[in-house]
Amino acid sequence: MDNITALQTHNLTHTVTSKTGDLTILKGIDLEIKEGESVAIVGSSGSGKSTLLGLLAGLDRNTSGDITLYNHSLTSLSEEKRALLRGEYVGFIFQSFHLLPSLEAIENVMLPAELKGDKQARQKAERLLEQVGLSHRLTHYPRQLSGGEQQRVAIARAFASEPKILFADEPTGNLDEENGKTIINLLFDLNRSQGTTLIMVTHDNKLASMCDRQLIMSAGQLKEGSL
Amino acid sequence: MNFALRFIFREMRSSEVITLIVALIISVGTVTSISLFVDRLQLSFEQESANLLAADRLVRSDEPILTAWRQQATDLGLEQASRASFATMIFANNKLQLSQISAVSDTYPLKGSFLVDTQIFAKGFASSQSPQQGQIWLSSRLASLLNVNIGQEVEVGDKKLTVSKYLVLDPGSSTSAFAISPRAVMNVADVAATNVIIPGSRVRYSLMLAGNRDKLNQYETWIQPQLKDGQRWQTPKQKGQRIGQTIDKAESFLLLAGTLAVVLSGVAMALASSRFVKRHLMQVAVLKTLGATPRVLAKLFLLQLLFLFVIGALGGIVGGWLIQEGISSLLSSLMTTTLPEPSVSKLWLGIATGFISLIAFCLPLIIRLIQISPLSVLQPAARVEKNALAIYVVGFIGLYGLMCLYTQGFMLPSIMTLAIGGVGLVVSILGWVMFKLGRLATSGATSGWQIGLASLYRRLTPNLFQLLVFTLIIMLGLILVGIKTSLVSDWQAQLPKDAPNHYLFNVQANQVEGINDISQQLGLTSSSWFPMVRGRITKVNNDRIEKLYPEGKSEPELFEREMNLTWADQVGEGNKVVAGDFHANGISLEQERAKEAGITIGDKLTLNIGGISYTLPVTSIRTVDWGSMRPNFYVIVPKQLLSHYPANFVSSFFIKAGQEQAFYKAMSGYPTVSILNVGDLVKQIQTIIGQLSQAIQLVLLCILAAGALVLIASIGSTLEERREEGALLRVLGARASLVRQALIVEFGFLGLFSGIIAAIGAEASLYGVQTFVFKTEASWHPLLWALGPIIGVLLITSIGVFASRTVLKVPPMLLLRDF
Ligand SMILES: Nc1ncnc2c1ncn2[C@@H]1O[C@H](COP(=O)(O)OP(=O)(O)O)[C@@H](O)[C@H]1O
Ligand SMILES: [Mg+2]
Repeated sequence: MDNITALQTHNLTHTVTSKTGDLTILKGIDLEIKEGESVAIVGSSGSGKSTLLGLLAGLDRNTSGDITLYNHSLTSLSEEKRALLRGEYVGFIFQSFHLLPSLEAIENVMLPAELKGDKQARQKAERLLEQVGLSHRLTHYPRQLSGGEQQRVAIARAFASEPKILFADEPTGNLDEENGKTIINLLFDLNRSQGTTLIMVTHDNKLASMCDRQLIMSAGQLKEGSL
Repeated sequence: MNFALRFIFREMRSSEVITLIVALIISVGTVTSISLFVDRLQLSFEQESANLLAADRLVRSDEPILTAWRQQATDLGLEQASRASFATMIFANNKLQLSQISAVSDTYPLKGSFLVDTQIFAKGFASSQSPQQGQIWLSSRLASLLNVNIGQEVEVGDKKLTVSKYLVLDPGSSTSAFAISPRAVMNVADVAATNVIIPGSRVRYSLMLAGNRDKLNQYETWIQPQLKDGQRWQTPKQKGQRIGQTIDKAESFLLLAGTLAVVLSGVAMALASSRFVKRHLMQVAVLKTLGATPRVLAKLFLLQLLFLFVIGALGGIVGGWLIQEGISSLLSSLMTTTLPEPSVSKLWLGIATGFISLIAFCLPLIIRLIQISPLSVLQPAARVEKNALAIYVVGFIGLYGLMCLYTQGFMLPSIMTLAIGGVGLVVSILGWVMFKLGRLATSGATSGWQIGLASLYRRLTPNLFQLLVFTLIIMLGLILVGIKTSLVSDWQAQLPKDAPNHYLFNVQANQVEGINDISQQLGLTSSSWFPMVRGRITKVNNDRIEKLYPEGKSEPELFEREMNLTWADQVGEGNKVVAGDFHANGISLEQERAKEAGITIGDKLTLNIGGISYTLPVTSIRTVDWGSMRPNFYVIVPKQLLSHYPANFVSSFFIKAGQEQAFYKAMSGYPTVSILNVGDLVKQIQTIIGQLSQAIQLVLLCILAAGALVLIASIGSTLEERREEGALLRVLGARASLVRQALIVEFGFLGLFSGIIAAIGAEASLYGVQTFVFKTEASWHPLLWALGPIIGVLLITSIGVFASRTVLKVPPMLLLRDF
């Protein structure tokens, strides 16, 4: 099991065009992540962490180099195919939660399973919300929930599709220490129990040190590091 | 996909979706009610005109109707009747009288009915039965000329016929106002026995048809190519052309006005969908990270659009139906006949409107929504801003297409588009200057004035857009008010309440005085007396008509037959000289006839009057207002030409309801005088004018509703910002009343500017519309200059403050959380 490569990049480069000219955000990144690993990406703000995370998750197409996700080369896939892959392999947690405001907590969690046409969506969602300690808030709307609660719903949603890789972009960035801790514990618990690969961007050194590996992003390049 | 449905129901509560639906309902409803209402008018008009024609359609021929024509009508399952009209002598009591006879089949008339009576010179009652074999109906005038009563016999050629009724009106020939011979109706089966029709007799044969519209059209396509000279296909529309034109004019006006409601609803839809898209961008990106493929998302949103379309179209159709039903039933109390039910097939225009609007205004935005990059969840800068131009282009094409659909042409839509574009440009420039001036005039933020005026400039783009929208709405409203007033007064001027409803003709000079006495005793209003002398044009520039139009080449109406000539010292009411000098010593011709005959000023015409020829140049061309119901003439000649001929006189009278009997009785002392009652026709036109003014009011209401919706939707697009700002002001220590004051100032000025620019624009547009579209004389509209600014300030301030009322209620605390 340790030998399976979940994610691999080769000379990953990303350039965006903006009004002020071309900007190369990622400059030739080589990376290999094994199944089941937990990886933290740290680095100063604006160094390209979110961009890297998004490309690894197949949210956009990189400009050059390769990304391979479970033997699928993301670079050559259309958005349609990448979306299917995301639904199949990937879960996501955001700094600002991004729950759909018009859906109840349970419906937010049901979404990924429903997109796959899973008939068990509701039962699964109920179980997950119970696991994150929100079984009494199923029918509440996001605006009726605090930030920590919203992030817990988001975690439940991320695990609802039974992802092989979970991406988290500063999951505790908008939360106080107390709530941050709850979230981290939930994240690692679920990660362990489901055998998920975890790739997380964070500013929090303590959180980073809980991961198997730490990677440091600086000026578009990635170094293996330790804290 | 029940997920999609649930998604939709959740969305149904959001204000954008409600705006979208309401906008759809308004545009579908407006177009539906207009097209249904106009359809009912048209159907009712066609039915009434069919009564005038005595059939739905008619083929007229100078030769007997071919058996093949009848066979084809039978094959198509159409009802048929036939009529042969000819002039012949009727003999009775040693008296001989030239008469105009209609010989009709038992099935005649297919539409409408005869008016007959058993009393001479009476009002008559309806009869849908034609005379039986062996019988004849004589007009009261003919009966009194021949000195016969009901039950006595008259001779038509070799055949004796019994007078069984007095004819008051023959439905198929009621409009030939200036026939000289008195009329009679007999059964066509008796014609052969009379032996009056011999080869060379002038007989007009008609095959009359009635039935299903499609079948009639089928028949028309079949017969048209077979028609030769002297044969003609007639429809009710041709028969009642004047009313037809009024309705056509009104229909394009109504639909044009309706277009404005559709445009406004379209703008509201575009605003609502852009807000919808903005709010959903992040959601869609999130859905994409969760593995939603573009196809799934496309399905989701298309399904939503479809759902909206169904609700909007259904709501619009129901609403539109109810509105036109309401108006029609309101009207039915004023009308003699009820309007026929509208045809369901007319619903398509409303449905097409909804569909095209949705495609044009929502689809491009939704496509843009689906195309958002999922990376924007992490990186807002990655949002792909698709070319906004494409969205405007699609919206514009959709609107333009709709306008073309309504007006069935490109001219009016193009003018409107150019006008709106021009207004847009002018408004942007003027608005920018005014906002800038407002900003310069104030500084600081201590009063509502300063804040309000400053924010006009600060939110320049949305405010310019709102200024444009408000200006357009007010302008359109003003234009409608202007057009309505001039349109309705134009119609009413044409046909006042006391428009003549009776013509008197064949009046001898020595009878004029006596009839004037009757008119005075009964207190009737009448036009002046016009002298009439029969004459015929025989040569044009010394070429004989027979040479110019040899056998088989159909001649223009002017040369076709003998006609009534008159003289006049003055250009008559409703006549307008468009070329030449009316008072010159020559002939004055009516414009349409002159054009048809290819005659211009300077051409020499030879007239044969009573066997003597006169050659005169054409010295003036007139237009004639045929809607006026006054006697009108194609040809007016100098007085000295006619003065030594015995003239007939003609005049028109207005006879109040209830006075007819007294008048007819008094007139029985003048049996040679022909009386033609056109009261029904006049009443019909007046009813239609009443209906049309109602319809215009309806359209004004629809436009106002759509306009309010645009206001609310466009304020909605800046609402978040306004709320944040209001909260911020209050965090900084401003009282709620200051924030309210600022809002009032901002919207008040927006309204004032809109109103002023709108008044200018409306005046200019009215000039154009009056001059080029309705071809009436342009006039100033001082009312608009007052209405524009007042309505602008009141309407926009109240709706604006209402729509942004939540700004005042935002607790400052909210700012500390999120927006
Ligand atoms: N699509 C884009 N257009 C322009 N600039 C971008 C785009 N995507 C990222 N950037 C820029 O690239 C840099 C890296 O962004 P990001 O990956 O969000 O950094 P981090 O998450 O490490 O703070 C930032 O300066 C950001 O503004
Ligand atoms: Mg980041």
